[in-house]
Formats: sequence, C-alpha cells, structure tokens
Amino acid sequence: MTKIGLEIHCQLTNLKSKLFCPCKANYREFQINENICPICMGLPGSLPRLNQEAVKKATIIAMALNCTTPEKIAFFRKNYFYPDLPKNFQITQLNIYGDTSVGGTGSIMVGDKKIRITRIQLEEDPGRLIYEGSSSKNQITLVDYNRAGTPLVEIVTEPDFENPKQVRDFLNILSDLLENLGISDPSLEGAMRADANVSVKGGNKVEIKNIGSFHDLEKATHFEITRQESLRSREIPIVQETRHWDDKRKITVSSRSKEEDLDYRYFLEGDIPWVTINPEIKNELKSKMPESISSKKERYVSKYNIPVQVADVLSLDKFYSDLFEESHTADNAKEIANIITTDLMGLVDTREKRAESKLTATHLRDLADSIQSGKISRISAKNALHEIVKTGKSLSQIISELDLGNVSDESELFGIIEQVISEEEQAVEQAKSNPQTINYLVGKVMQKTKGKADPALTLNLLKKQIGI
Amino acid sequence: MVTQEEIERVSKLMKIDVDDHKEYVDKVKRMIGYFDVLDSAGVESEEISMLEIPISFLREDEYIPFSDKLIEKLNHYKGTYVRAPKMSS
Amino acid sequence: MNLKISVLEYVQEIKNGNLSAEDFMSKTLERISDVDDKLHAFLNINKDAIDQAREIDKKIKSGAKTGSCLGMPISIKDNICIKDSKTTCASKMLENFVAPYDATVITKLKEQDAVFVGKVNLDEFAMGLSTEFSAFGPSKNPWNVECVPGGSSGGSAVSVSAFECIASLGSDTGGSVRNPASFCSIVGYKPTYGLISRYGLISYANSIEQIGPLTRTVKDTAFMLNIISGLDENDNTTVDNNNADYLSGIDSGIEGKKIGVIKEMIGEGIDPRVLSATNDAISKLESLGAICEEVSLDMVKYSVAAYYTITATEAGSNLARYDNLRYGYDFPVEGYEFNSYISKARRNFGPEVTRRMIIGGFVPSAGHAGKYFLKAIKVKSKLTKEINEAFKRFDLLISPTVPILPFKIGEKIDDPISLFLVDINTVTANLTGKPAISIPYAIVNGLPIGIQLMADSMNDKLLLQAGHALENTVTLPEVPI
Repeated sequence: MTKIGLEIHCQLTNLKSKLFCPCKANYREFQINENICPICMGLPGSLPRLNQEAVKKATIIAMALNCTTPEKIAFFRKNYFYPDLPKNFQITQLNIYGDTSVGGTGSIMVGDKKIRITRIQLEEDPGRLIYEGSSSKNQITLVDYNRAGTPLVEIVTEPDFENPKQVRDFLNILSDLLENLGISDPSLEGAMRADANVSVKGGNKVEIKNIGSFHDLEKATHFEITRQESLRSREIPIVQETRHWDDKRKITVSSRSKEEDLDYRYFLEGDIPWVTINPEIKNELKSKMPESISSKKERYVSKYNIPVQVADVLSLDKFYSDLFEESHTADNAKEIANIITTDLMGLVDTREKRAESKLTATHLRDLADSIQSGKISRISAKNALHEIVKTGKSLSQIISELDLGNVSDESELFGIIEQVISEEEQAVEQAKSNPQTINYLVGKVMQKTKGKADPALTLNLLKKQIGI
Repeated sequence: MVTQEEIERVSKLMKIDVDDHKEYVDKVKRMIGYFDVLDSAGVESEEISMLEIPISFLREDEYIPFSDKLIEKLNHYKGTYVRAPKMSS
Repeated sequence: MNLKISVLEYVQEIKNGNLSAEDFMSKTLERISDVDDKLHAFLNINKDAIDQAREIDKKIKSGAKTGSCLGMPISIKDNICIKDSKTTCASKMLENFVAPYDATVITKLKEQDAVFVGKVNLDEFAMGLSTEFSAFGPSKNPWNVECVPGGSSGGSAVSVSAFECIASLGSDTGGSVRNPASFCSIVGYKPTYGLISRYGLISYANSIEQIGPLTRTVKDTAFMLNIISGLDENDNTTVDNNNADYLSGIDSGIEGKKIGVIKEMIGEGIDPRVLSATNDAISKLESLGAICEEVSLDMVKYSVAAYYTITATEAGSNLARYDNLRYGYDFPVEGYEFNSYISKARRNFGPEVTRRMIIGGFVPSAGHAGKYFLKAIKVKSKLTKEINEAFKRFDLLISPTVPILPFKIGEKIDDPISLFLVDINTVTANLTGKPAISIPYAIVNGLPIGIQLMADSMNDKLLLQAGHALENTVTLPEVPI
C-alpha cells in the first residue's frame, strides 16, 4: 500500500510586505539585493516585526482547510547554517509546547478520498542561490536576499495519498482554493513548492526534496514509488533517508547525509511574544471569507440553472467568477456564464491579456441582453467580443460600426432566402424529402448574411418558401 | 555524561573550529557539569510562561522600502550578489 | 571647570549660562586623553564631538528649541548601533562593522541633543563579568587599576566613574550594568523587561536582556529613562509605560515600604565586608521608615545554572549570523567549501564566546534539551512565580549587588564556575524581568560595594524612589584618579 505525504510551501503573494519587515512581499520585479533592509538581512541589532495581515491570512487558510485554530500562536527558531538564511536560523512554527502553530489538524476531500492535514504554520522564505564558476574548484555561490523574509504558509499533510494522481488533484484544489481566497497567485513562479514523503507497503519513509514544480512532483513521486517497489521485489531493504529530485536525470538521488546538520535545536523565538487571536477576530475573518468554490458552483447550478460543466469551469476561475458576479442579473446569468466559458475564457486567457482587456461588466450585460432579445446572433456576438476586448467601445457602437445587427427585416431576409433557394436546387430537393437537412440551407443564409440573419426567422421563412 | 565526541559533534554543529580540543573540552565539561544542579530543582511539572500580545498590536501590512541602498553599505565583496563559498553536495 | 557634576547639574549650569556645551565637551576630551591610556574604557572616540557640541550651543543661543540633553557627553557601550559608526561588540568578528542604522535609544537621545563622545569597551558580545574578555584588551577599575571594573559593561562604568563622560548606556543580561556599576561605585539600572527598546542592541540573550543607563546619581538615571523608555514599533517585546515621568515624585522616600532581604543572596560565599555593608544599608533604610524582613527565594540556588543554560542557547543562535558572508572582516570565499570557510571565519571569536557557543549548541540539542534547556526554562518560570509571590508581601527586595569585592585582573579568568557565581545576586532580575538598581553604598579597603534593590514589573518609579532614598544615606569618597 503506497503512502504519500506532502509538505507544501505557499507564498502569501497578495500581501504587501514581508513577514517580519516592511520590504515588499512580491520580490520578483527587483534588481539583485534591492528589496532588503536590516531586518530581513538579519543585521546585528535588528528585530522581527510580525505582519498582522499574514497571521490573519494564514488563519483563513487554516479555516478553509477545516483545521483547528489555537487561541495563541507562537514562533520558534530552527537553527542551521546555509547561505540563503541571513540569520542562520529560520523563524517558523512548531507544536512542541501544545498547539501553537496557526492551524492544527484538519482535512479536505480530494474526490471521495479524505486527506488529513497535520498542521499549518507560518514561516519565512530564505533568499535565492545561484552558482557561478565552472569547475568544482572555483565555484562560488551567489546569494540574492530579495526573497528572504517573504511570508510562507507551510501545509503538512498526513501520508494519506495513495497515488500520484491524487497528489496532483489535491494540488490543483489547493491552488484554486488559495487563489479564490485572494491570498496567493499560484501562477507566479515559485509561489507554491512542495516536498513529498513516500513509502510503499509499510516500509520506511523516504523524503524527497528539491522538487521544482507540481509537474515534477508527480514525476518524482511516481519515480520514487517505482524505485521502492523494485527494491522490495528484490528483497532489498529501503533506507529511511532524504533524497533530492534530480531534474536533469529525472530521478531521485540520495542526499549525502549530514547528520550534524539535522539537529535544529528548536526553541521559542524570544523577540516575538505569543499572539492571541480571540474568537471575535476569528469570527470576523470567517464572515469575510469569500464564498468557497463548491458553494459557488452549487449556487450557479441551483439558482441560475447553469449547466453543471459550465458551472464547474466558471467557479474554479476567480477572475471570471468575479466578473460573472459583477455582471449578471437573474435573467441573463445563464447567458453570461455561457459567453464567458464558451468564448471569453479562450480569448482572454493569460494574465497579461486579462490585464490588457478592456471588457467590463456592462459590456457583458449588454451582450447577453442583445443575444437574448435577438438583436445580434451568437456569431456576431463573438466578433463583437473581440472588438470589445481590444477597444472597450460600447456594444451599440460596435454593432453599428461593424454592421453586426441581426438581419431581422423580413423583406431583406426574403431576398437572400430567394437567392439561396435558387442557388441550391439540390439541397432544396433534399430538404423536401428530409426536413432535417434544412439546416444546411439555414447555414447558407447565415453565410450570406455574415451570421447576422435571425436564425429562427430564417428557418421559418425557408420552410414557408420551400413548402415544408 | 559529557564526552569528547559529543563536544566535537557540537563544535561542528555550531561551525566552531576548536584547535586544542583538550583545554576547551575540559572547561566546557566543567561548565556543563555545573548545570547538573538543575536536576534537583524539581520543576518537571512547571508550565512555560511567555509574553503575550493581542493580534491588533502587530505591524500593519504596508510596503515601505528601506531608505538607503543597504547592499552598498555592507559591501566587502565584489558586485551586487553576496558571495558565499561553494556548497559541498 | 568641574567635570564631577551630575546630569541634572549640567543641565542647570547650561541653562544658567554658566557653562557651554563646547567647553564641557572639550574638557571631557582632555580628561579622556589624560586617563584613558591607563583605564582603557574607550574603543572609539567621536572626532566630531566638539563640533556637535558647538552646534548645540548655537541652537541654545539662538533661542531655538533644544533637546533636554543640551549637548551632554554620553558614552555608548559598543554593542549598541550608531549609524555610520563602527560597532564592534569588542570582537574581531565585527572589527570593521559599520552600523547602517541607529538603535532606537540612539535616535531618542539624538532627538534630545545628546552628543555621543565615544563607544566604550565590553566583554566580547557582552559575555562576561569583568570586561577581561574584550578582544581589544581589558578595562581597568578607576578605584584600583589592578582590579576589574566588572562587566560586561565595564567601559560604561569606568567612563562614568572616572568623569570621562556624564552618563552611559550599557546592556544588562545577567547583571552586566549593575555589576560594573557596583564595582565602580556608580548607579546602574536594569529596567523592567520591555521598558526600553532593544532595536539596535546587538543581541546576546534576547529574551532577558535590556539596555540600561549608568550614571552618578539616581535622579540622573530617571532623567535618562524619561528619554529612552517607551513602546517602540521596532521591538515587539516593548511595553507601554504611558509616558511615565520617572523624575516626578522621586524624593518621595520609603516611609512604610516593606523590603524583603533575600536570604539566598546573603548566604554562603559572601565576603564579610559586603555582608556588613548590606546590614548597614538595611538599618539605614529602617531608620528612614522602611520595614525590613527576611524572604526566601528557593529557586535562586538554580538561577545561575538556568541563566547560563538559557543564555548560551540564545547566544548560540543569536551569534550564528556571524559567518562573515554579508559583513565582517576581509577573508575571500574563493577556493573554500562552505562548512570549512564558516568554521575558519568564526575562529575570530574569543575563547569565552567560543566556549559559550559550544555550550549553546550542547544544552538545547536533541538528546540533551530535556535535561538542560527545558529544565532551565522551567526554573525561570518557577523563579518568576516565587518572586511574584514575594512581591505580594513586599514592595521591594534587597541584597548586595555582588557578593564579593572587585577582584584582580586575571584572578578568575581560568575558573569559569567561580566567575559564574559572581552573578548569583543579579541574574534573578533578568530571568524574571523585574527592574533592579545598584546603588553605590560603601568603599572598603579602597574598593566599592553596591547594594541592589528590586521592584515588581512596571514599578520602576517606586524603585527609583527607593534607590534615591538609599543613595542619600551615604557620602562616598572621590574616585582616586
């Protein structure tokens, strides 16, 4: 029986400042070592200043994962030497004197599998290392501390995962959750990282670190399961150890065990008092939490009659579900959901495109209303959408500029229908015997009108003309 | 029991090079030996006490860049990266 | 010109126009050059001190608003950061470290127009009781230059006691302000934990240490406290003292106050001359209307062991950042592997710091933490409970500051346990967070004896009143230098 557990590190990218200092939380736009101060550099005499919003956001994550949240939280020092760690200790959370980390035990469903959460803790991200120099003799490590001190929430799970697919599904659920809560943008590089531990058939647990992406995580766990099963089948015992993922060779490799470095000498961080989070604050946080994805989906289906697949897609996307909320009314909700999922999502897909798009809630409303009233056809609406996203002009302006209005004038339509009938003798004959095939003729009319013919009207007129 | 091997392991842990081990080890052993008196304090059942503050006292989440170009003030190495020795593994 | 005046007298003289800041500063610097070769209190002199004092004179003359310090010369222990100044902690590891920011206490004093005349000596990284562990040589006791001035704030105490400045800021982790104050016959103060911001104090044992003033009179300490105390957003462990005025009511006396004499601090090992001075002080206080009675704090027996266990652990962690990568001394990384570079770089720690690092790695490590570190923090909790009980019965607690007289330089340096026990009366205040003051009380065989008073948390005002009452009961000879 395979058992996989995860340790996921999520940056709180939507915060403005770092965990213990007012430097910027999102370090990605800075030049080397420009987003630093005495605190995150651990200069002599500096002291940590805990970020209130970080504690609140971490508590919200704990609540969203159904975890217990203690009334007092504490911070500890994890002592070890590494160049990316300015103080040579990391300020993190532990539960050695009772429950003191921001989230305790909880659980979340992944499909019909229950995954238990062990704990949730707040901690600081270290800096970033790159290596310079070719031969091993002249190699130098270069350190950029812009990231040092960025707020992280570490989510630790029990080894409840049975296969890599469950792991992938869980990570997707988690990213969506964090995005939906407005706490983190998981698409930012490095915003979510994970380590795994793997054991097969009750054997020793092996930790895997240095996994760069979720894609690699699936590969790494898969590889490790195979490796362990293969050893087992040859009756070779599995060593309990830490391995790292070698991305080039796509294998896990035993890390040289540094016994002496594993003793972290944990003790309470004396510069940060215990922080009390009383029930009133927790209730306030809970009441302000955005609606959960599953709750949104259910509401879309039951209240607006939106088809299940459409509701699924829409509820998972925070940007578009927010847009939906802003633009819909009781009458056009289903149509708007349709426009978003069918046309808009594909058209405006990347973060850059979303930022540049000039489409507003008003546009969407106008579009939906125009479709429903028969003013324009779906095809025209799609064309209009392109223009709206690009220029932001009002729908009515675009309809007149591009002549997108439905041709619903009977006489005009009549003329075109006559034309089509005369051009498509064979199809007309077929339609007489097999009425289903009339759609071909409808299509021809649509072609001639560049999609602007009113479909219902066209169908009726055609039938009348042909005599069916 | 404080052994020489233990002292050596701890020196490595603390990244402290100790040359003439014997002299240090003797003094350190004596100092740690003195701490054995803690065994007779009878404090097993004591709770850990700590300062407390309410969450509202904590720093507001605001981005305030540090006023100076800090990296230039610390610079005793070349360039804008901090230079560290190569890692062993 | 008389350098032997107090802070309050200086302020008065300046206001009266009898004195200029520049003149006083100039005379101070002369004094330093006269005596500091012998005493070695200073590591660094501020070459702009006279110019800064002159500027303040100009401000005063022009009628512009001037800070309450009026250009007075203050020395600062060299583990407190002054922007763009070298801050060495008396260690080779930080020999060339220039702080890029001001400690909060420095900012506050600057705002009040104090002038920092220089940085003064300490035991390396504040670890010691005698200033003998400074990497730049020991400081000498002005009462007897063959004796230690106490530590770790030895330079602070010497500079104030020998009139090389009018006040000083030191730091007190286990007695490091009170002990040298006692050995040099001046006033030394450790406030309630959290009263003074530690932002900019280079950490040794952050859960128990505080910055504290060293002055010639208790009122001077109250004056300093008014400036440097208070809530600081840069230090999450500071407490709100509601802008208390420590000078107001300081002459209230101690009529009717109950004072507990701590049994465990006048017991075995105390020098009979110190005991005699303590008993004398107790009688004097009783004659002023105080009620003195013996009290027992059982955990004091374990306080030194607990103190050294906790401080070594915290120091081991607080000093881990000194790996010479981001700042330090010139030692290129090329050609080295990480672990060997760091271990080699850290050889620049002195022997006492090195010992404490090793102990600090040992006592909280897996396998030993239960026996040592965990027990030590529990002793801290129990001692706090005991002293809180005592403060239900008593307003103040009294003991000698140090159970022995200042010892000869080199006398205890090879005997760590004997050195530990010098702390036995002072560590309790740090472990429990209570305020404590050392009052210069007697000179016996040419050597100073100080008496320590403690009060309950946030009762600093009461403590200063009591200290002032006690200091007024004696007139002490002048320092012979």
